[in-house]
Amino acid sequence: MGNLLVNYYETGAIVLFGVGFVTLLAHGNLIKKIIGMNIMDTAVFLFFIAKGYITGKEAPIIQSAKSASAYVNPIPTALMLTGIVVAVSITAFALALTIRVYEEYGTIDLNEILKMGG
Amino acid sequence: MPLYNSYPLIIILLLFISAFAIPLFKSIRVAQIISLSATGLSLVLSVLTFIGVKADGPYYFRVGHFAAPWGIEFHIGIIEGLMALLFMIVSMAVLWFSIYSIEHDLTKKKLPLFYTLVNLLIGALLGIVFSDDLFNCFVFIEISSIASCGIVVVKDRKENIKAALKYLILSSLGSGLVLMGIALIYSLTGHLNMASSHEVLAAIYPEHSRNMLIAIGLFTVGLGVKSAMFPLHTWLPDAHTYAPAASSALLSALVLKAYVILYIKIIYRVFGMGIVSELPVLNIVLLLGAVGMIAGSVLAIMQKNLKRMVAYSSVAQIGYVFFGIGLGTSMGLAAAIFQIFNHAFTKAALFLSAGSIIEKTGKKNIADLKGIGKEMPFTMAIFAIGGMSLVGIPLLSGFNSKWNFAVAVIEAQRVELLAVVLISSLLNALYYFPVIINGYFGEESLEGKVFRKKERPIKELLPIMVLILGVVYLGLSGGGLLSLIEAGIPALG
Repeated sequence: MGNLLVNYYETGAIVLFGVGFVTLLAHGNLIKKIIGMNIMDTAVFLFFIAKGYITGKEAPIIQSAKSASAYVNPIPTALMLTGIVVAVSITAFALALTIRVYEEYGTIDLNEILKMGG
Repeated sequence: MPLYNSYPLIIILLLFISAFAIPLFKSIRVAQIISLSATGLSLVLSVLTFIGVKADGPYYFRVGHFAAPWGIEFHIGIIEGLMALLFMIVSMAVLWFSIYSIEHDLTKKKLPLFYTLVNLLIGALLGIVFSDDLFNCFVFIEISSIASCGIVVVKDRKENIKAALKYLILSSLGSGLVLMGIALIYSLTGHLNMASSHEVLAAIYPEHSRNMLIAIGLFTVGLGVKSAMFPLHTWLPDAHTYAPAASSALLSALVLKAYVILYIKIIYRVFGMGIVSELPVLNIVLLLGAVGMIAGSVLAIMQKNLKRMVAYSSVAQIGYVFFGIGLGTSMGLAAAIFQIFNHAFTKAALFLSAGSIIEKTGKKNIADLKGIGKEMPFTMAIFAIGGMSLVGIPLLSGFNSKWNFAVAVIEAQRVELLAVVLISSLLNALYYFPVIINGYFGEESLEGKVFRKKERPIKELLPIMVLILGVVYLGLSGGGLLSLIEAGIPALG
């Protein structure tokens, strides 16, 4: 319990991940599903970036000749930049498909669409 | 550094660059020429890479010329070389076939896009196979999931859009779980490189075993969704049924396999058998694989649509692969990798021939296909050989694959699992044989059918025959491939 409070970034990230996961699975509405997917991705970004942060260290912009231990770890941030790009493109693709689904079926509720069969 | 070391990178770049060159030309012919020549060249390069790896042993290739823990590396061993070879042969055959058939499925405007997506997809899949960096693998996974949804939805019909959306949602769920798993590994080790993180994980094992269990669980479920492990397969039937024949063949033969290879790499290269054998994960994978082998076949028996039946059969065949991985022995892993080859050749041939039958007759249901063996004798013969291979008739690759599983099960001293392999084979027979028998025999069904009336020209069947040749070759001399795989396995872990 104490550990959960100390590592509150990670705890928050995992809770968010669960929220996103359930939203993605449990809701029939496609837009809500996409929102859930985004929450899930954001949770991972938070988790990763929290891992790179070291309390009391500077942002890794090198101006004076300090040793590497003076800065926070920049790798997770750089990775998550890529992660955000990936998430945005998946979201854009999913939204485009949702629009086409609405045009064809007249609804964005996946359960109703599956009931229609064909 | 020998020249062939950089071929894997060249293959991926070639496929990606050609993919984005295709939309620059409006002409369909040019798109096909670019796509085929890029894959052809990649095939040659992957053959050379394989020959080199076989002679000199596995090697690491530094993509950005930075050394291991910082830069991204490729790891190419015999398994990776073999996989590249398999992927290129199958995709070459499928692209060759698509020249004759794809215009039936797609509108003219969409045709060049199809080739863009296919080249992108193959490049990303090879990236997953080669890369030794977890985050790099994740990026390739995302590229391949967009591209594989793309080749489903490129046929612009209602059902395709529904199937692609379902596929996209579940596969982004899978990639979310994989990314979380990568985050856990990174937080434990500080490395994304598979070899470096393996060293750290092995050193800190007993302390953080719960963290590792969660990470490997996330990888199992995430990659399980993407490679249609049994209870997570729900997206597969729709996507594989409605996609154009060439797309179905690629999706089933290659896309599922790349994720399985990544899973094998995560178990053997990142965690290592030392850690994984202490965790209960492999037993669950074994159980799900075994259930999938039976349930996939039972579901396939219940199908009325020909392509849907073949799609459900993929669930059963992927079950075999996970069954082999779940055994946790090196013979089990070798059998699983052999099954990847068997299934890639067989299922690609089955999907292409089933697609041909549907295209020429316009009938999708198995019940309407009586007497098809007289109208399309050669296509049906190909379908029959593919089906018989999956049932496990000797002299075809499926028999060797099942034999390997039987040997692996006995070696692992779990003889009771032999029953699963046998029952699954019998169930396979229950759905492939009726199609074949109704196609060729029966007075009533053959009446009024004209011999070869609907047959494709032999030229157009050649690509499927290449795949069937692979099936027969692996059936006649499967031992060679198996000993190659066994020689390659130590390099994985």
